[in-house]
Formats: sequence, C-alpha cells, structure tokens
Amino acid sequence: MELTLDMICIPSEDIVARVIEDELVIVPLTAGIGDADDELYTMNETGKAIWLHLDGGTSLRTIVEELTAEFNATSEVIAEDVLGLVAELVQKKIVVVQ
Amino acid sequence: MSSDYVQVNHELRLMTGGEVAGLMAAVLEKKVPFRFTASGFSMAPFIRNGDVITLKPLPARLCRGDVVAFIEPCCGKLMVHRIIHVSVAGYLMKGDNNSEPDGRIPPSSLIGLVVRVEHLGRLVRLGGGRERAAIAWLSRRGWLIPFVVSVWRFLKPVAGKWIA
Repeated sequence: MELTLDMICIPSEDIVARVIEDELVIVPLTAGIGDADDELYTMNETGKAIWLHLDGGTSLRTIVEELTAEFNATSEVIAEDVLGLVAELVQKKIVVVQ
Repeated sequence: MSSDYVQVNHELRLMTGGEVAGLMAAVLEKKVPFRFTASGFSMAPFIRNGDVITLKPLPARLCRGDVVAFIEPCCGKLMVHRIIHVSVAGYLMKGDNNSEPDGRIPPSSLIGLVVRVEHLGRLVRLGGGRERAAIAWLSRRGWLIPFVVSVWRFLKPVAGKWIA
C-alpha cells in the first residue's frame, strides 16, 4: 500500500509509547507481552515531533502543514519526512492506517 | 530534518528505575504482562541476577509472600521484593537475601505482581499461597537464608546434579 498525504494514521494498539527524558520510547506488545529484552524503539527529534501529531484524527497533510509552521523547513522536505517515518512505522506495525 | 527517524534500542537497563517503572506501568495499564531481566542479588535464591521476570497487573488483593515490583518512595529506585507483612499503613517489603526490610511501601508505589521467573531458561517455582506465606514468615525473622542453606546441604548429596 502506498502512503499518501490524505491518509490518517494512528498508533497501533499493540504498542506502548512513553516520553522518557525527552526521548520517545516505544515498546511493542509482541504476542500479548511487553518484553523489555526484545527490541524497543526510540525516535529522533524529527520522528518524535511527527509522532506527537499522529492522533488518529489528523491527516498526514494537516500534520505536514502544522510541522511546517513549527519548523524551519519547506513543506516538501517535511512531507518527505512524514511519509518516510510513517512508512517505516507502518512496516514495523507501530502505526496503522485508518 | 533527519531521515534516520527510528532507532532500535536495547538499553533499557541504562534507564533509571523510575523510567523503567513508567514503561512497566504503561504496559500493565493495558492489562498486558511485562517481561524484563532482573539485576541484583537481593532476592536470591528465588530470583537471581539475570533471571527473566514476568509481571502482571496488580490483583485486587495482595497477600503476604507475594513478590511485587515497586518504586521505593524515598529514592525512586525500582525494586522487586517480597511482601512480608500487610497492614493498613501499607506493605512491609523485604528482599529475601537482605538482612533488613525496606520499610512500609504505600499501595500507590506498587507496580506489578511477579507471576513468573525464569532462570537460564527454566521456570523457577514461586510456590503457592501457603508456601509464599511461609517464606515471608522465615524472611521476616531472618531465618530464610539459613533455612535454605540447611535444606540445600541436606539435598545436595542426593539431588545436587539435578539442581542448578
């Protein structure tokens, strides 16, 4: 499935995300268990900024607009970042497309 | 903006106890068990350094002898110790291998109940309610380790090769 900016995405039910010391940490609930010895995910500042907008009610296009107002970057660059991150998160089953 | 968004992290043990506890609490809030590797020797011989512990959400009622994860209110340290006495003031906790109790821990500091311990891939027997209460009784009086050592000395000649 190809992601487009008109899509709405939401964090999966099968993860737990927490901001710890300014870092976003994601624990996948693999096979119904949160396993700290399995892979945990953290995000860089860009990823965290995008993640915090993934509320399930906002399209990726709106997120791009909001981030363009927040960051000193063009909407094209931010759109590329948003689509890149969300594609990675969908592939890792951390995010689902609504 | 970078394009390297997501990193895989195996450094949970580098987080502070409070941070790990926050993650545990968030997972347990979803009614999902949380598994992690124990560090330290305070609960030996039942939980040893490197054992894998599984926590479940706290039940409605905890009993003497139950082993629970909690945050020590004074220092914010994450602990996994045994309840050796229950009162309205809270739970008196103690590491089985410690000489002194931790003090009264309020219910709000408890995170989850230990339901499974694996040592080198094998299940460690946690015992039923009466066994756990007996362990708590021995532990409170400081008799647990001498008792375990005595039992071990008795059993070792006949069962040593089967017991890790």
